[in-house]
Amino acid sequence: MCHRWPPKLKLLLTLAVVFTVISVPIRFWPLHGVFLSVVFIGHSLARIPLVYVARRLAVFLPMLIMLSFSVPISQGFQAGWELAASILVRGTTAFLCGLWLVNVMPFDQLLSTLRRLGIPAILVSMLAFMYRYFFVLWDELDKMRTARRARTFCHQTFWQRWKGSAQLIGMLLIRAMQRAERVHGAMCARGWDGHVRFLDDARSHSARSQQ
Amino acid sequence: MMRAVIPPGLNSKFRMTTSESVLNISGLGYSYPGGITALSDVTFTVADNDVVGIVGPSGAGKSTLLLHLNGLLPQKLPQLADGESAAVDVCGLPMSAGHLPEIRRRVGFLFQDPDDQLFCPTVGEDVAFGPLNLELGREEIDTRVRESLAAVDLAGFETRSTLQLSAGERKRVCLAGVLACRPSLLALDEPTSNLDPRARRGLLKILREFRGSQIIATHDLELVVEHCSRVIVLDEGRVHADGAPDSILRDAALMETHGLEVPLSLRVGGPTNR
Repeated sequence: MCHRWPPKLKLLLTLAVVFTVISVPIRFWPLHGVFLSVVFIGHSLARIPLVYVARRLAVFLPMLIMLSFSVPISQGFQAGWELAASILVRGTTAFLCGLWLVNVMPFDQLLSTLRRLGIPAILVSMLAFMYRYFFVLWDELDKMRTARRARTFCHQTFWQRWKGSAQLIGMLLIRAMQRAERVHGAMCARGWDGHVRFLDDARSHSARSQQ
Repeated sequence: MMRAVIPPGLNSKFRMTTSESVLNISGLGYSYPGGITALSDVTFTVADNDVVGIVGPSGAGKSTLLLHLNGLLPQKLPQLADGESAAVDVCGLPMSAGHLPEIRRRVGFLFQDPDDQLFCPTVGEDVAFGPLNLELGREEIDTRVRESLAAVDLAGFETRSTLQLSAGERKRVCLAGVLACRPSLLALDEPTSNLDPRARRGLLKILREFRGSQIIATHDLELVVEHCSRVIVLDEGRVHADGAPDSILRDAALMETHGLEVPLSLRVGGPTNR
Protein backbone atom coordinates (compact mmCIF):
# COMPACT_ATOMS: atom_id res chain seq x y z
CA MET A 1 0.00 0.00 0.00
CA CYS A 2 2.96 2.39 0.61
CA HIS A 3 3.64 2.36 -3.13
CA ARG A 4 0.62 4.56 -3.83
CA TRP A 5 1.40 7.23 -1.26
CA PRO A 6 2.33 10.66 -2.64
CA PRO A 7 6.08 10.74 -3.51
CA LYS A 8 6.70 13.78 -1.30
CA LEU A 9 5.16 12.03 1.72
CA LYS A 10 7.34 8.95 1.21
CA LEU A 11 10.51 10.99 1.00
CA LEU A 12 9.69 13.28 3.92
CA LEU A 13 8.61 10.31 6.06
CA THR A 14 11.93 8.57 5.41
CA LEU A 15 13.93 11.70 6.18
CA ALA A 16 11.89 12.29 9.36
CA VAL A 17 12.54 8.75 10.64
CA VAL A 18 16.26 8.94 9.79
CA PHE A 19 16.71 12.30 11.52
CA THR A 20 14.77 11.17 14.60
CA VAL A 21 16.90 8.01 14.83
CA ILE A 22 20.08 10.05 14.53
CA SER A 23 19.06 12.62 17.14
CA VAL A 24 17.87 10.22 19.88
CA PRO A 25 20.86 9.14 22.05
CA ILE A 26 21.51 5.40 22.29
CA ARG A 27 20.87 5.29 26.06
CA PHE A 28 17.16 5.57 25.25
CA TRP A 29 17.47 2.15 23.65
CA PRO A 30 13.80 1.16 24.03
CA LEU A 31 12.96 4.08 21.74
CA HIS A 32 15.37 2.70 19.13
CA GLY A 33 13.53 -0.61 19.42
CA VAL A 34 10.33 1.28 18.58
CA PHE A 35 11.98 2.94 15.56
CA LEU A 36 13.19 -0.41 14.23
CA SER A 37 9.67 -1.81 14.65
CA VAL A 38 8.23 1.15 12.73
CA VAL A 39 10.68 0.53 9.89
CA PHE A 40 9.85 -3.18 9.99
CA ILE A 41 6.11 -2.38 9.74
CA GLY A 42 6.92 -0.11 6.79
CA HIS A 43 8.73 -2.98 5.06
CA SER A 44 5.78 -5.33 5.71
CA LEU A 45 3.26 -2.79 4.38
CA ALA A 46 5.34 -2.38 1.21
CA ARG A 47 5.51 -6.21 0.93
CA ILE A 48 9.28 -6.18 0.59
CA PRO A 49 10.43 -9.83 0.85
CA LEU A 50 12.36 -10.64 4.04
CA VAL A 51 14.97 -12.60 2.06
CA TYR A 52 15.66 -9.53 -0.07
CA VAL A 53 16.20 -7.38 3.04
CA ALA A 54 18.37 -10.06 4.68
CA ARG A 55 20.60 -10.32 1.59
CA ARG A 56 21.18 -6.57 1.52
CA LEU A 57 21.85 -6.51 5.25
CA ALA A 58 24.36 -9.33 4.84
CA VAL A 59 26.41 -7.06 2.56
CA PHE A 60 25.97 -3.90 4.60
CA LEU A 61 26.25 -5.18 8.18
CA PRO A 62 29.84 -6.52 8.05
CA MET A 63 31.06 -3.09 6.93
CA LEU A 64 29.05 -1.36 9.64
CA ILE A 65 30.25 -3.82 12.31
CA MET A 66 33.86 -3.28 11.28
CA LEU A 67 33.40 0.47 11.45
CA SER A 68 31.63 0.49 14.82
CA PHE A 69 34.04 -1.95 16.49
CA SER A 70 37.02 0.10 15.38
CA VAL A 71 36.11 2.56 18.18
CA PRO A 72 36.48 0.18 21.22
CA ILE A 73 39.42 -1.58 19.54
CA SER A 74 41.29 1.71 19.20
CA GLN A 75 40.74 2.38 22.91
CA GLY A 76 41.95 -1.04 24.07
CA PHE A 77 38.42 -2.33 24.76
CA GLN A 78 38.23 0.10 27.70
CA ALA A 79 35.60 2.46 26.38
CA GLY A 80 33.71 3.44 23.27
CA TRP A 81 31.16 0.62 23.51
CA GLU A 82 28.30 3.06 23.66
CA LEU A 83 29.50 4.82 20.52
CA ALA A 84 29.91 1.45 18.78
CA ALA A 85 26.35 0.44 19.67
CA SER A 86 25.15 3.85 18.54
CA ILE A 87 26.80 3.55 15.10
CA LEU A 88 25.49 0.00 14.68
CA VAL A 89 21.87 0.68 15.68
CA ARG A 90 21.49 4.02 13.95
CA GLY A 91 23.32 2.84 10.83
CA THR A 92 21.11 -0.25 10.50
CA THR A 93 17.88 1.71 10.96
CA ALA A 94 18.92 4.41 8.49
CA PHE A 95 19.98 1.76 5.95
CA LEU A 96 16.62 -0.02 6.29
CA CYS A 97 14.82 3.31 5.82
CA GLY A 98 16.76 3.96 2.61
CA LEU A 99 16.04 0.43 1.41
CA TRP A 100 12.33 0.98 2.03
CA LEU A 101 12.38 4.24 0.09
CA VAL A 102 14.08 2.87 -3.03
CA ASN A 103 11.59 -0.01 -3.01
CA VAL A 104 8.44 2.09 -2.81
CA MET A 105 9.60 4.77 -5.24
CA PRO A 106 11.07 4.51 -8.76
CA PHE A 107 14.40 6.30 -8.93
CA ASP A 108 13.36 8.94 -11.47
CA GLN A 109 10.38 9.82 -9.23
CA LEU A 110 12.75 10.13 -6.29
CA LEU A 111 14.91 12.52 -8.31
CA SER A 112 12.03 14.75 -9.38
CA THR A 113 10.73 14.82 -5.78
CA LEU A 114 14.16 15.84 -4.48
CA ARG A 115 14.18 18.55 -7.11
CA ARG A 116 10.73 19.79 -6.04
CA LEU A 117 11.88 19.89 -2.44
CA GLY A 118 14.52 22.41 -3.46
CA ILE A 119 17.63 20.21 -3.50
CA PRO A 120 20.22 21.97 -5.75
CA ALA A 121 19.94 20.93 -9.40
CA ILE A 122 23.59 19.98 -9.66
CA LEU A 123 23.26 17.47 -6.77
CA VAL A 124 20.13 15.92 -8.29
CA SER A 125 21.79 15.54 -11.68
CA MET A 126 24.86 13.98 -10.06
CA LEU A 127 22.58 11.39 -8.44
CA ALA A 128 20.90 10.80 -11.81
CA PHE A 129 24.26 10.22 -13.52
CA MET A 130 25.40 7.92 -10.74
CA TYR A 131 22.26 5.80 -11.11
CA ARG A 132 22.48 5.81 -14.92
CA TYR A 133 26.13 4.79 -15.15
CA PHE A 134 26.34 2.44 -12.16
CA PHE A 135 24.88 -0.38 -14.25
CA VAL A 136 26.99 0.45 -17.30
CA LEU A 137 30.18 0.32 -15.22
CA TRP A 138 28.99 -2.82 -13.46
CA ASP A 139 28.53 -4.47 -16.87
CA GLU A 140 31.98 -3.34 -17.87
CA LEU A 141 33.49 -4.80 -14.68
CA ASP A 142 31.62 -8.04 -15.31
CA LYS A 143 33.02 -8.27 -18.86
CA MET A 144 36.56 -7.62 -17.63
CA ARG A 145 36.13 -10.28 -14.92
CA THR A 146 34.92 -12.81 -17.46
CA ALA A 147 37.81 -11.96 -19.78
CA ARG A 148 40.26 -12.46 -16.91
CA ARG A 149 38.69 -15.78 -15.92
CA ALA A 150 38.90 -16.93 -19.56
CA ARG A 151 42.67 -16.45 -19.42
CA THR A 152 43.26 -17.83 -15.93
CA PHE A 153 44.65 -21.29 -16.49
CA CYS A 154 46.01 -22.31 -13.11
CA HIS A 155 45.04 -22.11 -9.49
CA GLN A 156 45.74 -18.66 -8.10
CA THR A 157 46.89 -17.91 -4.60
CA PHE A 158 44.95 -15.52 -2.40
CA TRP A 159 47.41 -12.69 -3.07
CA GLN A 160 47.42 -13.24 -6.82
CA ARG A 161 43.64 -12.96 -6.82
CA TRP A 162 43.80 -9.73 -4.80
CA LYS A 163 46.39 -8.29 -7.16
CA GLY A 164 44.22 -9.17 -10.14
CA SER A 165 41.18 -7.53 -8.53
CA ALA A 166 43.15 -4.37 -7.79
CA GLN A 167 44.23 -4.20 -11.42
CA LEU A 168 40.62 -4.64 -12.55
CA ILE A 169 39.46 -1.80 -10.32
CA GLY A 170 42.27 0.44 -11.60
CA MET A 171 41.30 -0.38 -15.18
CA LEU A 172 37.65 0.30 -14.39
CA LEU A 173 38.57 3.73 -13.05
CA ILE A 174 40.39 4.60 -16.29
CA ARG A 175 37.47 3.36 -18.36
CA ALA A 176 35.04 5.34 -16.22
CA MET A 177 37.07 8.49 -16.80
CA GLN A 178 37.18 7.88 -20.54
CA ARG A 179 33.45 7.30 -20.56
CA ALA A 180 32.89 10.51 -18.58
CA GLU A 181 34.79 12.38 -21.25
CA ARG A 182 32.69 10.87 -24.04
CA VAL A 183 29.43 11.56 -22.18
CA HIS A 184 30.52 15.16 -21.70
CA GLY A 185 31.15 15.37 -25.44
CA ALA A 186 27.69 13.97 -26.14
CA MET A 187 26.14 16.52 -23.78
CA CYS A 188 28.00 19.39 -25.45
CA ALA A 189 26.86 18.13 -28.86
CA ARG A 190 23.27 18.71 -27.73
CA GLY A 191 23.79 22.22 -26.50
CA TRP A 192 24.98 21.68 -22.88
CA ASP A 193 26.47 24.96 -21.65
CA GLY A 194 27.08 24.09 -18.00
CA HIS A 195 23.58 24.99 -16.77
CA VAL A 196 21.43 22.18 -15.44
CA ARG A 197 17.92 22.45 -16.84
CA PHE A 198 14.93 20.32 -15.85
CA LEU A 199 11.84 19.55 -17.83
CA ASP A 200 9.66 20.72 -14.92
CA ASP A 201 11.23 24.20 -15.10
CA ALA A 202 10.96 24.51 -18.89
CA ARG A 203 7.95 26.82 -18.82
CA SER A 204 9.64 29.36 -16.55
CA HIS A 205 12.70 29.29 -18.80
CA SER A 206 10.63 30.14 -21.85
CA ALA A 207 8.84 32.85 -19.90
CA ARG A 208 12.20 34.29 -18.90
CA SER A 209 13.49 34.31 -22.46
CA GLN A 210 10.36 36.14 -23.63
CA GLN A 211 10.79 38.88 -21.05
CA MET B 1 49.22 -0.51 -58.15
CA MET B 2 48.62 2.90 -56.65
CA ARG B 3 45.73 5.08 -57.53
CA ALA B 4 46.28 8.78 -57.99
CA VAL B 5 44.81 10.99 -55.31
CA ILE B 6 41.69 12.74 -56.53
CA PRO B 7 41.63 16.28 -55.19
CA PRO B 8 38.00 16.60 -54.15
CA GLY B 9 37.68 20.14 -55.38
CA LEU B 10 38.37 19.01 -58.94
CA ASN B 11 35.47 16.58 -59.06
CA SER B 12 33.11 18.76 -61.05
CA LYS B 13 30.03 16.79 -59.99
CA PHE B 14 30.47 17.81 -56.37
CA ARG B 15 32.11 21.17 -56.75
CA MET B 16 29.83 23.88 -55.48
CA THR B 17 29.93 27.33 -54.06
CA THR B 18 29.79 28.01 -50.32
CA SER B 19 26.28 29.43 -50.50
CA GLU B 20 24.84 26.09 -51.70
CA SER B 21 26.83 23.99 -49.29
CA VAL B 22 25.85 22.90 -45.83
CA LEU B 23 29.41 22.08 -44.88
CA ASN B 24 32.66 23.44 -46.20
CA ILE B 25 35.97 22.01 -45.00
CA SER B 26 39.18 23.47 -46.36
CA GLY B 27 42.69 22.50 -45.39
CA LEU B 28 41.66 21.00 -42.04
CA GLY B 29 44.50 19.52 -40.01
CA TYR B 30 44.65 18.17 -36.47
CA SER B 31 47.25 16.54 -34.25
CA TYR B 32 46.43 14.94 -30.91
CA PRO B 33 48.28 16.30 -27.86
CA GLY B 34 50.58 13.24 -27.99
CA GLY B 35 51.84 14.46 -31.37
CA ILE B 36 50.00 11.92 -33.54
CA THR B 37 48.71 13.57 -36.69
CA ALA B 38 45.07 12.58 -37.13
CA LEU B 39 44.06 14.85 -40.02
CA SER B 40 46.06 16.77 -42.56
CA ASP B 41 44.81 19.06 -45.29
CA VAL B 42 41.30 17.63 -45.45
CA THR B 43 39.19 19.53 -47.97
CA PHE B 44 35.67 18.79 -49.18
CA THR B 45 32.22 20.32 -49.46
CA VAL B 46 28.83 18.83 -48.63
CA ALA B 47 25.77 20.11 -50.48
CA ASP B 48 22.24 20.25 -49.16
CA ASN B 49 20.67 16.76 -49.05
CA ASP B 50 24.01 15.11 -49.85
CA VAL B 51 24.55 11.77 -48.09
CA VAL B 52 28.30 11.28 -47.74
CA GLY B 53 29.90 8.08 -46.51
CA ILE B 54 33.39 8.37 -45.00
CA VAL B 55 35.28 5.10 -45.21
CA GLY B 56 38.78 4.08 -44.30
CA PRO B 57 40.69 1.71 -42.04
CA SER B 58 40.60 1.99 -38.24
CA GLY B 59 42.62 4.97 -37.08
CA ALA B 60 42.19 6.76 -40.41
CA GLY B 61 40.78 9.85 -38.67
CA LYS B 62 37.08 9.33 -39.44
CA SER B 63 35.83 9.92 -35.88
CA THR B 64 38.29 12.80 -35.38
CA LEU B 65 36.91 14.43 -38.52
CA LEU B 66 33.33 14.08 -37.29
CA LEU B 67 34.25 15.59 -33.91
CA HIS B 68 35.42 18.69 -35.76
CA LEU B 69 32.00 19.18 -37.39
CA ASN B 70 30.47 19.79 -34.00
CA GLY B 71 33.26 21.81 -32.44
CA LEU B 72 34.09 19.00 -29.99
CA LEU B 73 37.63 19.19 -31.38
CA PRO B 74 39.93 21.08 -31.18
CA GLN B 75 39.67 21.56 -27.42
CA LYS B 76 39.93 25.32 -27.69
CA LEU B 77 38.17 27.10 -30.53
CA PRO B 78 39.43 30.47 -31.75
CA GLN B 79 37.47 33.69 -31.40
CA LEU B 80 37.04 34.94 -34.96
CA ALA B 81 36.44 38.49 -36.03
CA ASP B 82 33.69 39.22 -38.60
CA GLY B 83 34.69 38.16 -42.10
CA GLU B 84 37.41 35.76 -40.93
CA SER B 85 37.14 32.21 -42.21
CA ALA B 86 37.87 28.90 -40.53
CA ALA B 87 38.84 25.44 -41.75
CA VAL B 88 35.34 24.19 -40.92
CA ASP B 89 32.31 26.15 -42.05
CA VAL B 90 28.77 24.96 -41.27
CA CYS B 91 25.89 26.60 -43.19
CA GLY B 92 28.03 29.68 -43.78
CA LEU B 93 29.06 29.92 -40.11
CA PRO B 94 32.83 29.61 -39.62
CA MET B 95 33.68 27.38 -36.64
CA SER B 96 34.44 29.67 -33.72
CA ALA B 97 33.56 29.96 -30.05
CA GLY B 98 30.87 32.53 -30.87
CA HIS B 99 29.09 30.38 -33.46
CA LEU B 100 29.38 27.17 -31.44
CA PRO B 101 25.82 27.04 -29.98
CA GLU B 102 24.22 27.61 -33.40
CA ILE B 103 26.58 25.16 -35.13
CA ARG B 104 25.81 22.51 -32.51
CA ARG B 105 22.10 23.01 -33.10
CA ARG B 106 22.53 22.59 -36.84
CA VAL B 107 24.79 19.55 -36.68
CA GLY B 108 23.19 16.52 -35.08
CA PHE B 109 25.86 14.16 -33.81
CA LEU B 110 25.14 10.45 -33.29
CA PHE B 111 27.86 8.77 -31.22
CA GLN B 112 28.99 5.22 -31.77
CA ASP B 113 28.11 3.95 -28.29
CA PRO B 114 24.49 4.72 -27.32
CA ASP B 115 25.48 4.49 -23.64
CA ASP B 116 27.57 7.63 -24.08
CA GLN B 117 24.63 9.53 -25.47
CA LEU B 118 21.74 8.24 -23.36
CA PHE B 119 22.50 9.80 -20.00
CA CYS B 120 19.04 10.65 -18.66
CA PRO B 121 16.92 8.28 -16.54
CA THR B 122 13.97 8.16 -18.96
CA VAL B 123 13.64 8.19 -22.75
CA GLY B 124 11.45 11.32 -22.71
CA GLU B 125 13.94 13.30 -20.62
CA ASP B 126 16.80 12.23 -22.84
CA VAL B 127 15.09 13.29 -26.06
CA ALA B 128 14.13 16.57 -24.36
CA PHE B 129 17.75 17.34 -23.36
CA GLY B 130 18.62 19.18 -26.60
CA PRO B 131 15.39 21.23 -26.83
CA LEU B 132 15.73 22.09 -23.11
CA ASN B 133 19.18 23.50 -23.75
CA LEU B 134 17.68 25.52 -26.61
CA GLU B 135 15.47 27.04 -23.90
CA LEU B 136 12.22 26.24 -25.68
CA GLY B 137 8.83 26.34 -23.94
CA ARG B 138 7.37 23.21 -22.34
CA GLU B 139 4.68 22.69 -25.03
CA GLU B 140 7.21 23.00 -27.84
CA ILE B 141 9.56 20.56 -26.08
CA ASP B 142 6.75 18.05 -25.55
CA THR B 143 5.76 18.33 -29.22
CA ARG B 144 9.34 17.81 -30.39
CA VAL B 145 9.81 14.81 -28.10
CA ARG B 146 6.59 13.25 -29.37
CA GLU B 147 7.41 13.91 -33.02
CA SER B 148 11.02 12.74 -32.76
CA LEU B 149 10.05 9.51 -31.03
CA ALA B 150 7.34 8.91 -33.66
CA ALA B 151 9.94 9.54 -36.40
CA VAL B 152 12.10 6.71 -35.03
CA ASP B 153 9.07 4.38 -34.55
CA LEU B 154 9.19 4.61 -30.76
CA ALA B 155 5.99 6.56 -30.12
CA GLY B 156 4.84 6.29 -26.50
CA PHE B 157 8.30 5.41 -25.12
CA GLU B 158 8.57 8.69 -23.15
CA THR B 159 8.36 7.16 -19.67
CA ARG B 160 10.47 4.07 -20.40
CA SER B 161 13.76 3.78 -18.52
CA THR B 162 16.84 4.17 -20.70
CA LEU B 163 18.26 1.08 -18.97
CA GLN B 164 15.53 -1.19 -20.32
CA LEU B 165 16.02 -0.84 -24.07
CA SER B 166 17.45 -3.15 -26.73
CA ALA B 167 20.54 -2.09 -28.69
CA GLY B 168 18.42 -1.05 -31.67
CA GLU B 169 15.98 0.90 -29.50
CA ARG B 170 18.83 2.69 -27.72
CA LYS B 171 20.33 3.74 -31.04
CA ARG B 172 16.95 5.02 -32.22
CA VAL B 173 16.35 6.96 -28.98
CA CYS B 174 19.77 8.59 -29.48
CA LEU B 175 18.72 9.52 -33.00
CA ALA B 176 15.41 10.92 -31.69
CA GLY B 177 17.41 13.07 -29.24
CA VAL B 178 19.43 14.40 -32.15
CA LEU B 179 16.38 14.96 -34.40
CA ALA B 180 14.60 16.89 -31.62
CA CYS B 181 17.11 19.74 -32.16
CA ARG B 182 16.00 19.91 -35.83
CA PRO B 183 19.50 19.69 -37.34
CA SER B 184 20.24 20.41 -41.00
CA LEU B 185 23.23 18.05 -41.04
CA LEU B 186 23.55 14.65 -39.38
CA ALA B 187 27.03 13.43 -38.41
CA LEU B 188 26.81 9.70 -37.69
CA ASP B 189 29.70 7.73 -36.21
CA GLU B 190 29.36 4.02 -37.03
CA PRO B 191 25.54 4.09 -36.92
CA THR B 192 25.10 0.39 -37.75
CA SER B 193 27.69 -1.09 -35.38
CA ASN B 194 26.31 -3.66 -32.90
CA LEU B 195 22.93 -3.73 -34.60
CA ASP B 196 21.21 -6.93 -35.71
CA PRO B 197 19.92 -6.98 -39.32
CA ARG B 198 16.41 -5.95 -38.36
CA ALA B 199 17.60 -3.03 -36.20
CA ARG B 200 20.01 -2.01 -38.98
CA ARG B 201 17.17 -1.99 -41.50
CA GLY B 202 15.01 0.07 -39.13
CA LEU B 203 17.77 2.64 -38.69
CA LEU B 204 18.38 2.84 -42.42
CA LYS B 205 14.68 3.50 -43.02
CA ILE B 206 14.77 6.42 -40.57
CA LEU B 207 17.93 7.84 -42.15
CA ARG B 208 16.30 7.67 -45.60
CA GLU B 209 13.37 9.72 -44.36
CA PHE B 210 15.60 12.45 -42.92
CA ARG B 211 15.43 15.68 -44.91
CA GLY B 212 18.92 17.16 -44.85
CA SER B 213 22.55 16.26 -45.37
CA GLN B 214 24.27 13.33 -43.72
CA ILE B 215 27.90 12.44 -43.10
CA ILE B 216 28.37 8.83 -42.09
CA ALA B 217 31.71 7.48 -40.85
CA THR B 218 31.46 3.73 -41.19
CA HIS B 219 33.08 0.36 -41.85
CA ASP B 220 29.75 -0.91 -43.18
CA LEU B 221 30.43 -0.58 -46.91
CA GLU B 222 27.08 -2.12 -47.80
CA LEU B 223 25.45 0.81 -46.00
CA VAL B 224 27.43 3.18 -48.22
CA VAL B 225 26.38 1.31 -51.38
CA GLU B 226 22.76 1.27 -50.31
CA HIS B 227 22.35 4.69 -48.76
CA CYS B 228 25.07 7.18 -49.71
CA SER B 229 25.15 9.42 -52.75
CA ARG B 230 28.86 9.97 -52.38
CA VAL B 231 31.84 8.39 -50.66
CA ILE B 232 35.11 9.78 -49.34
CA VAL B 233 38.07 7.48 -48.69
CA LEU B 234 40.08 8.72 -45.72
CA ASP B 235 43.40 7.13 -44.75
CA GLU B 236 46.14 8.42 -42.47
CA GLY B 237 44.20 11.65 -42.08
CA ARG B 238 44.09 12.47 -45.79
CA VAL B 239 41.34 12.34 -48.40
CA HIS B 240 42.37 9.76 -51.00
CA ALA B 241 39.24 9.61 -53.15
CA ASP B 242 35.92 11.38 -53.36
CA GLY B 243 33.08 10.49 -55.69
CA ALA B 244 30.16 8.20 -56.45
CA PRO B 245 30.14 5.00 -54.34
CA ASP B 246 29.50 2.84 -57.37
CA SER B 247 32.77 3.80 -59.05
CA ILE B 248 35.01 4.24 -55.99
CA LEU B 249 33.97 1.14 -54.04
CA ARG B 250 34.31 -0.99 -57.19
CA ASP B 251 37.99 -0.01 -57.52
CA ALA B 252 39.62 -3.10 -56.02
CA ALA B 253 43.14 -1.64 -56.07
CA LEU B 254 42.08 1.52 -54.27
CA MET B 255 40.11 -0.47 -51.71
CA GLU B 256 43.02 -2.79 -51.01
CA THR B 257 45.53 0.03 -50.68
CA HIS B 258 43.45 1.65 -47.97
CA GLY B 259 42.62 -1.45 -45.96
CA LEU B 260 39.13 -1.87 -47.41
CA GLU B 261 37.50 -4.33 -49.77
CA VAL B 262 34.98 -4.21 -52.58
CA PRO B 263 31.54 -4.77 -51.02
CA LEU B 264 30.01 -8.15 -51.82
CA SER B 265 26.94 -6.60 -53.43
CA LEU B 266 29.16 -4.83 -55.97
CA ARG B 267 31.29 -7.93 -56.55
CA VAL B 268 28.30 -10.11 -57.42
CA GLY B 269 26.47 -7.22 -59.06
CA GLY B 270 29.08 -6.59 -61.75
CA PRO B 271 32.75 -6.78 -62.63
CA THR B 272 35.31 -4.99 -60.46
CA ASN B 273 37.85 -2.61 -61.94
CA ARG B 274 40.88 -4.75 -61.18
